[in-house]
Amino acid sequence: MNSSVRIFCGWLSLVGVILLGGCDMPDAPQFRLNMVQMVSDATPTPPAYQEQIANVLDGMFGTPDEPFALPETGLDLRKLQMAAGPAWTDDKGANFGLYRKHCVHCHGVTGDGRGPTALFLNPYPRDYRAGVYKFKSTYNPARPTDEDLHRVLINGIPGTAMPSFSLSPQAELESLAEYVKYLSIRGQMEIALANYAFNDLGEEETVDDKGEPVLDDEGEPVMRLIPLDPASDEEQRTVITELLAEIMDPWNTVNEQIIVPEEGAIPVDNRPAEDVAASVAKGRELFYGIRANCMKCHGPTGLGDGQQDDFDNWNKAHKQFLDSLASSSEEDELTGTRDSVAASLYPIRNAIPRNLRKGIYRGGHRRIDVFWRIYAGIAGTPMPGSGPASPGAQGTLTEEEIWSIVDYVLSLPYETPSRPLEALPTNLELVN
Amino acid sequence: MVNPLTKLPSFLLLPALLGLGVVTGCQRGEELGPVASAAAALKIRDALTAGGSGGGGAAAVAMGTGWGTLKGRFVFDGEDVPQMVPYNANKDMEACTIAGKAPLQETLLVDESTKGIANLAVFVRSVSRVHESAEAGSGKVDFDQKACQFLTHVFPLVLGNTIVIKNSDPVGHNTNIDGKNSFNQTIPVGESIDFKPQKEEAVPVSVRCSIHPWMLAYFLPRKNGYVAITSADGSFEIANLPAGEDLEFQVWHESASGPGHSLILTTPEAKDLKWSKKGRFKVKLGEDEVKEINLAVPSTAFSL
Repeated sequence: MNSSVRIFCGWLSLVGVILLGGCDMPDAPQFRLNMVQMVSDATPTPPAYQEQIANVLDGMFGTPDEPFALPETGLDLRKLQMAAGPAWTDDKGANFGLYRKHCVHCHGVTGDGRGPTALFLNPYPRDYRAGVYKFKSTYNPARPTDEDLHRVLINGIPGTAMPSFSLSPQAELESLAEYVKYLSIRGQMEIALANYAFNDLGEEETVDDKGEPVLDDEGEPVMRLIPLDPASDEEQRTVITELLAEIMDPWNTVNEQIIVPEEGAIPVDNRPAEDVAASVAKGRELFYGIRANCMKCHGPTGLGDGQQDDFDNWNKAHKQFLDSLASSSEEDELTGTRDSVAASLYPIRNAIPRNLRKGIYRGGHRRIDVFWRIYAGIAGTPMPGSGPASPGAQGTLTEEEIWSIVDYVLSLPYETPSRPLEALPTNLELVN
Repeated sequence: MVNPLTKLPSFLLLPALLGLGVVTGCQRGEELGPVASAAAALKIRDALTAGGSGGGGAAAVAMGTGWGTLKGRFVFDGEDVPQMVPYNANKDMEACTIAGKAPLQETLLVDESTKGIANLAVFVRSVSRVHESAEAGSGKVDFDQKACQFLTHVFPLVLGNTIVIKNSDPVGHNTNIDGKNSFNQTIPVGESIDFKPQKEEAVPVSVRCSIHPWMLAYFLPRKNGYVAITSADGSFEIANLPAGEDLEFQVWHESASGPGHSLILTTPEAKDLKWSKKGRFKVKLGEDEVKEINLAVPSTAFSL
């Protein structure tokens, strides 16, 4: 054999080894910790606690392949099992592993909004772990209803990468909505555990058999971390049960938090044109006035070009973490991890108020959808509410006024400035 | 036929191929943090599903009798008293400035003459019993804003009370309260909105205005009135604390460098109080005792 051919074959086999042998089969996906929370200034969590928190979460919620739910969560395990695990279809055509089939590439295995495609999307996919959702029928601080989650799955979120799943069977949508809720509750529990470990556990003085403090060479007490181990500590079990109950309560009572418009204030169907025009005019006045103040952020033109300096909660949390990193100079056992976490974050984005002239409504284009946005604001974002903050509380605007703003906002895309005329091909015969 | 590959110097080929392998084959993002141990998780699950944890939790057993008072002062121990700069106001300038200048920030207020540190929050973490003067309220407390500044920078609230959020500016605001009570509502010119928070916070949470993002205050809702914010001369007083039990106090300041903005002190006086790395100290009061603590705070306790 010619020597150059031999060399070529050698290289070729090397390429084969690298391409074929280089990568193991991927391990089963694992839930990962909320590392921003773990290394944040508010709850600095030593590695020992990180491991123990991961264990408690696994005990309470299982793994991405084998989900689990304590009865206290009220979650339907059958629905979760349909959404969890690898994607496959049984011989009757029933689909399983729905979350991994449809959602995981954007929202991530843990529901942290950091799937492989997330970095390339604007807005970033939702991080479910705070339990905060933007497009819902409930008061600002309340959770979404099942129907709210369902609606987003059916409609998608126009103007974003979130597609519609309206072709999926009802049972699949219910399974996915349940799984999303599960990831939220799990994420909320994780934050609660980090707070518990930081606030109530932590270091204590070591004592010997006789109950005397153990001292080091310099006479200072030797400290140890109180382990987070609910398997052997009954008090911790009680605390964890209480923390879970505290998380579940807003989910379980969400139906008391739905914003139901007053019958009398809802504009009737088929209103005469002059009534609509009067309502639009009133809405316009409120939009630019100092009571509703919409113009401050959505801009004098409605293009969303007003106040743009603020952030949503998700970006703000990352920004605060990076700021605290920049201002602290002390090194501790988390310093290295902090730097890695900081390097792993996506670029921070400002909250840009919606351009109201496009006619694209992320939370839905029905009048009630726009009403809910103005009434409750948009949770997790700078958009404030103008209705009461909770049932029975004092609102800024009346419902009648809010419906007028709805009329005005929905008229904006049809105003002349929203539809600049395109140049038509010139018909020379007519011109001449 | 000459293969083009053989024309390349072979020492260049190996790194090139390795590079190819890395690019095509095994790209996976770095995963941070530990994952669960299945065995440990199973034990925890068994314990949690076994039930019989008694429910209800360990009810606090009332300890001791009578009441005592804790008071004291926090004094800045440093040569240069921090100077505050104006808020970074950049819109509604007529309303948000006084004589053309934005109000000064309040990130660390030290009194020139007494060197007292204002706006430190001192509060009890938990108590077994509460004096009637410190019980949950049912009144109304004003929280106002003027010249695009919240007039109370650190705002404590005993749950049960209602906040009357006012707007004394000629421009509209929205008040965006972070944390468990999460509130975000527009507050029109010259009007006020009532808000009744329901949940306690372990440390103060931020209050902002999205329209004027430089505006900043802190809100601390607590279940009882055992909470004090230091005044301009750095002094505080918490009366009617339960005597005869170990009380753990949390000390917080927005610019403190400890975790969660807790104030960490290592002075001898602080050591006597068993001051922790979480900005907490311990006191046990006798009946009718008035305990006074005076603490010097070095500038290194703050990050600015």
